[in-house]
Formats: sequence, structure tokens, C-alpha cells
Amino acid sequence: MTRSFRARNEVAIVGYAHSKIERRSDRTLGAITVDTTRAAIADAGLSVDQIDGFVGSALFPTAGDHLIIDGVSTVSPNWLARSLGVNPRYAAGFSGMGQIPGSVALAVNAIAGGAADHVVLHRALHNPKGRYHGSSRASFGGEQQWTAPQGYFGPLAMIALPTTEYLERYGATREGLAAIAVEARKNGSRIPWSFWHDRPLAAETYLDAEPMFDPICQYDCDIPVDGVATFVFTSAERARDLPHRPVHVSGYATGAPTRSRMPLHWPLDDIMDGGRETARRLWAAVGVGSDEVDLPQLYDGFSPFIWFWLESLGFCEPGEAHRFIADGGIDSDRPDGLPVLSGGGALGNGRMHGIPQMLESYLQLAGRAGDRQRDANVALACHASPHLGGAVVYTNDPG
Amino acid sequence: MNARPIPVPNDTTAPFWAAAGDHVLTLARCSNCSALTLPPEPVCGHCGSTDREITFEPVDGAGVIRSWTVVRQSFLPGFDDDVPFVLVDVELDAAEDVRLIGRFLDGIDAPLALGLAVDLAWEDLNDDVALPAFRLRP
Ligand SMILES: [Zn+2]
Repeated sequence: MTRSFRARNEVAIVGYAHSKIERRSDRTLGAITVDTTRAAIADAGLSVDQIDGFVGSALFPTAGDHLIIDGVSTVSPNWLARSLGVNPRYAAGFSGMGQIPGSVALAVNAIAGGAADHVVLHRALHNPKGRYHGSSRASFGGEQQWTAPQGYFGPLAMIALPTTEYLERYGATREGLAAIAVEARKNGSRIPWSFWHDRPLAAETYLDAEPMFDPICQYDCDIPVDGVATFVFTSAERARDLPHRPVHVSGYATGAPTRSRMPLHWPLDDIMDGGRETARRLWAAVGVGSDEVDLPQLYDGFSPFIWFWLESLGFCEPGEAHRFIADGGIDSDRPDGLPVLSGGGALGNGRMHGIPQMLESYLQLAGRAGDRQRDANVALACHASPHLGGAVVYTNDPG
Repeated sequence: MNARPIPVPNDTTAPFWAAAGDHVLTLARCSNCSALTLPPEPVCGHCGSTDREITFEPVDGAGVIRSWTVVRQSFLPGFDDDVPFVLVDVELDAAEDVRLIGRFLDGIDAPLALGLAVDLAWEDLNDDVALPAFRLRP
């Protein structure tokens, strides 16, 4: 049974900061994170000594052989608190999938429960030297003994299988995937901090690229980058006295694995069955439905996720998302378009996980989107796959 | 040239790989509820038992194609001479909702479709290690 969220709209985002998104920064990830977080705290009109909560996810999403070093290739909430000289009342890392919705849930629950007053949520992503997913391993034990020896390895293989299923079942094509990448890059090209600033993608460029794992090509994948974002949360009551218009968290939901599968095996039916349950929990928690969301920011770490989220959340019937997009349904320049990638997403910014979706939701609802400002009161920010990831609903009109 | 990575069995999975080396496909049967699974989990996904015997039981490897991909770039060593190759996601006829991912040995130009019937074949990695693979049913 799912109940409405008791802390609905009781916690708000009150400030943020975002670093440049670079292919490879010449600065250490930890240093960028500390600078970005100090900037976010100042943006919220607060001082570092007022921050008593730190949340986030330190997942470094590589299948490759890279070392995981806190402060260098990833940044945990505890590392960040220590490096800012804070001994927080509350520090927690989210270890599931859908790291951004999961981390938002930690922040909201900590504040609503009184465990902390002012919580910093950060995400720091790193592009290591060498191939991001490259491995030189001569053998695999554990769960990968069932798949890696065959050559089934890494997230491109993972997303290729359900994408083939979708194409074959519903008559979608690579042109349909190209339309998603082109929309993301169009919007990302307008964002000054994006890795793809001023660099839109032509459909022909997409279609000329040979797939890597059919039907997935390089343009279906977000590009690995160095980048950091930090958001500051506090109670709705305290938010009234702070400089920016607060953006309230109405509720959230995350998915959960339902069946035992081979590692990285995501059959389309698992994604869609799990996704519909994620959506059901979300709408029950927040008390609105898809037709009340002005700004659905869908996750696009791989382009077919846009199909899966559109259909899971009920914006399209199963199998219809590719036609909806072909008809201009997600063109954020059209007055009747559903602006699911208006923030550029991961394909249009770089591999910032669910940050572009959360940031666009915040900027638009706080009235801080500048030239890109839209008229919106309710936003939704997704992350990861509909069956294992999650989504958060935000509003600037808590009633 | 690098060799392809090999599977490393553990105490639970050793019988599977020993049988595979003889080109016999086995699935894990739960002694409590009799369900067949792969991979075997510490807790039975069907009955929840934490205290059970797992026996690997030979099954027919026929099944149907649920999806596929053509691998044109590998992130692992040892595949440079193999690419491009096809991996298929196969639902076995022998057990409900048990799916294997294996090499498809009929080449990248063979016509594929969802629901096509396949038979088990084997890929020998060395004298002792073989991996389940598939071919279209003639
Ligand atoms: Zn059982």
C-alpha cells in the first residue's frame, strides 16, 4: 500500500551551485566539490557553520578497472563534510540506483524528521584516464561469471538488449533514437556550463555513426566528464527568510528489483513493469498525476530511457513514445511540446547522472533560468531506469 | 594476444562449470521448492528458503530469442578477433522465466526476430571451459 507523503512540501531547495562540465579537469574532483559546495551555501544565503547535514551518492559508475579514491575519483558526503571542517549532525550516502532521487529522499527525511536543519546534497562525477568502461581482467568470479566470458559486459550491452526489444516490438528505428539525442543536444548547446555548449547534434551525424552494441551508438550515451553540483535544502519555514524563491519537494518514489536476473540484464518487461510501479508510488505520494506536471525532466543517460520513462509515467501509451517524439511531442521549442529535455539532460550536458534533470527543475521553478525561463509550477526529475531508479516531484506553489 | 576472460567457479557454481566443460547445460534446483534457476542465489527467489540444497540438474537448452545485440566494440580483452559478434538473450523452454545470455554462433547476417527458436550450442574457451551458446533451430 502506498500513502501520500507526510512531509509533502515541508522541505525546499534554497540554493545551488554548479561547476563547469569538462571532459577532464586539471583540478582534483575534491577541490572542485569543496568550491562548488561553498558557492552553493553562499547562494542560499547561509554560512558553512549552519550546514549540519550532508547527503549524496559516491557511486563511480564505471565497469572498468579504475581505482575508487574518495576525494579524487569520487566524493562521499563524509569526505565533503570533513573537508569543509564540519562535524555534521547527519551524514548519509545513498547506495541504491537512482542516486539523485535517493539522495533527495535522505535530505528531505532528515530535515522533516529534525535530524538536520540545513542539508547539502552534492554529486561529483569524474572521468578517469583511459577507457571509461575498459577492463583487462583475465577472469571473472562472482555474478559476472555468468555473462562476462561471453562478452556481455558494461552498460552499453545492458541497454542494447531492451532497446532491441523495443525496436522490434513497436517498429521504432534508429531515427527515433536520433530524435532524442538531437533534442537533448539542442537544449544542451544553449547551456553555458554544458560540455556541449554551442555544439548541437545533427541527425545525419547520429545516423552516420556505426553502432557499438546494436542499436546503441556513441550518441545514445552521455559523455563522461568531470563535474560537480551542490544543492542546499532546508525546511519550508526557514526557506521563507532566505534570498531565493524556495522550490519544495512534493514527494518521491524509487523502484526496486523484482526478479533475480543475470548481472546487467534488464529485459524490457522488467523495466516497464517496475516503471509502472515506480510511477504509481510517485503519484500516490505527491497527490498529482502526469497531467499536472508542467516540466517533466526525464532521464536520458542512454537515449532509449526517454521512451521508457514517457511510457512508465503515463505520458504515452506503451509502444507509442517513439511516434510521439517523431511528431514533435518533446520539442521544447514548441508551445505544445512536453519539455522533457529542456535542461539538456545527460546527453546534452555530460555524464552528470540525474543532476541536469534536478537542476532544470530547480532553475525553472525558482525563476532562475535566465533566457531559458519557462512558465512552470510543477516539475518532475527522474534518474536512472524506471524499474530501478526514481523520480522526485517539485513545486514552487505549495498551496 | 590476450585470451578471453574465463569464468571462476565458486563452491556453489563449480558443478555447473564442470558439466558445461562436458557440454551439458544444468540449472540449479532448489531442494525445498524444486524451482529451477540460474544463477543460484543465497536465498531461493521462489520459496524464500535460506537452508536448502542446490543441485545442478541437466536440462535441454532449447529456447526462444527474447532480444539480441551485435557487439562491434568490446570493453574486455581477447575479443578483438571476434567482433562483430551477436549475443542473444534466450528464454529457456526448460524453466519458466530463466534467461541466458550467450553467443549466437550463426553469424551477424543470420535473420533474427523476437520469439525465434534456438538450440543450445557450445563455445569452447579452452580444453576445460565451455560456455553455453546458441544457434537457430534448423
Ligand atoms: Zn525454493
